[in-house]
Amino acid sequence: MDFDAQLKLQAFLDGELPEGEASKVADWLARDREAAALLEELRNTRGAMAGFEAGIQLPESREFFWSKVQREIQRRETPAPKSAPTPLLARLRRFLVPASALAVILVAGAVLIRPAGPFDHAHTAGIETALADAGAFTYHDYSAGATLVWLSYPADNEVADNDEAGTIE
Amino acid sequence: MRAKLIRATGLGWFSVALVLLACAEVRAQAADMKLQAYLLWGTDDTKSPEGKAYKPVAPEILHKLKELPLKWTLWFEVNRKDFAVSQGAVKEVPMSEKCQVNVTKISGTEVEVLLIGKGKEVVKRKQSLPKGEMLVLGGNAPNSTAWLVVLKRIE
Amino acid sequence: MTATDHSSADDRTLVRAAQRGDMAAFEELVARHRDKIYARAYSMMRNEEEAVDLSQEAWVKGWQRLRQFQGEASFGTWMTRVVINLCLDQLRKQKRQRTESIEAMDEESGGVERQMPVVTSNPTAGLERAELRQRIDRALALLSHEHRTVLVLHEFEEMEYKEIARTMGCSIGTVMSRLFYARRKLAALLADLKKQD
Repeated sequence: MDFDAQLKLQAFLDGELPEGEASKVADWLARDREAAALLEELRNTRGAMAGFEAGIQLPESREFFWSKVQREIQRRETPAPKSAPTPLLARLRRFLVPASALAVILVAGAVLIRPAGPFDHAHTAGIETALADAGAFTYHDYSAGATLVWLSYPADNEVADNDEAGTIE
Repeated sequence: MRAKLIRATGLGWFSVALVLLACAEVRAQAADMKLQAYLLWGTDDTKSPEGKAYKPVAPEILHKLKELPLKWTLWFEVNRKDFAVSQGAVKEVPMSEKCQVNVTKISGTEVEVLLIGKGKEVVKRKQSLPKGEMLVLGGNAPNSTAWLVVLKRIE
Repeated sequence: MTATDHSSADDRTLVRAAQRGDMAAFEELVARHRDKIYARAYSMMRNEEEAVDLSQEAWVKGWQRLRQFQGEASFGTWMTRVVINLCLDQLRKQKRQRTESIEAMDEESGGVERQMPVVTSNPTAGLERAELRQRIDRALALLSHEHRTVLVLHEFEEMEYKEIARTMGCSIGTVMSRLFYARRKLAALLADLKKQD
């Protein structure tokens, strides 16, 4: 039996053959014991797998698993928290030395590298203003270099029309 | 004496490098930003909508879309616009009768994008868009499909 | 809606409430479907820790993408597709780390299964459910990622060939041959386990 015939047999078992072809395979199976035996083996394997996943359970309690999911959802939805305030004097002391060094570098960098201008925010993260869509959410994928802003507002055909073809046209 | 000379020469080259870098940066700030805007339609159906012959989205865009949390597997290109925007200027890019994006170049890499649907301002977003990166605005559409406006920085 | 209401509400009602931002409704959905989602991740990854992490990530993504869910399939089916995609991504990442030669061997090994003699008697006949599950578990662990994935998508997710091809990014022919190899190898492994008794 060649490989194509073997695959055809499998497609017959999986109900993936068109009706005409399936009846030809059925005739062939009635005549060929080797083919019938292979079909039986494939059927047994399929049968053995049925219900396998039903016995698998998540090895964590409902409360513990949910607390992890919830924490992660909240972590991704909440902007990074600001650090707790410290006394002014301590802050100044800690800040003064590195800040003065940094200031020198920044001033030199700003003068030499960048032209001063009111629009210079090259490294700001994406900020969006929801105008008609208060429910927008944002996802950034660093590896793909892509930011997705998903909007709920135009879903109900504000950008789109009602018919599918004209939806966004 | 020799050590002083070496230090002075090193400092000289460093200054030259900084000046060159500054010049390059100034040019980059002033240069027009070249962008591509796509209007895409997402579906799980392999066919284009009836009576339309949309072509499948370009592989490089599809590759990036696959990395995003979008459930649709097939994306068709409904419209594509190539355009350039200069510093501080607003470029109005109509993508369809009902959909338009207004793009403003804020700085060397940053843009402000305003999406307008049926004449209404839907969302405004400031986004750093280095070369090759994409900003994707999207939403659900009827019959379990989706629309996307993709803004890709070319240069 | 109170907690009691959530436990008696159907999935559709819970999804609608969760889409409006009701976390308690989403928690009920997680509780109802978490075993199924974990089981799918475990079937594909064969690693308990990884399966827990991926099923957790699937629920987080599920919450984030809930707006996209329009009820065209059941919520459970939709969530299993989310976890399957995450597992496939993870397997692709792992695949990139494996060497080319191992990959080539994985693909070629199918030829051996093609030539194997047919297992004439059913190797799982008469087994208790727990014993059968244990044997399938051991046999599945010995399949390559590619073969196991195709088997899981076909047998557990009940995807058609073309759907598997689309999900895995390969041709229907590849799906058919991988499925065939996977089934034949599984049959041989189950027969071996029977002999070891």
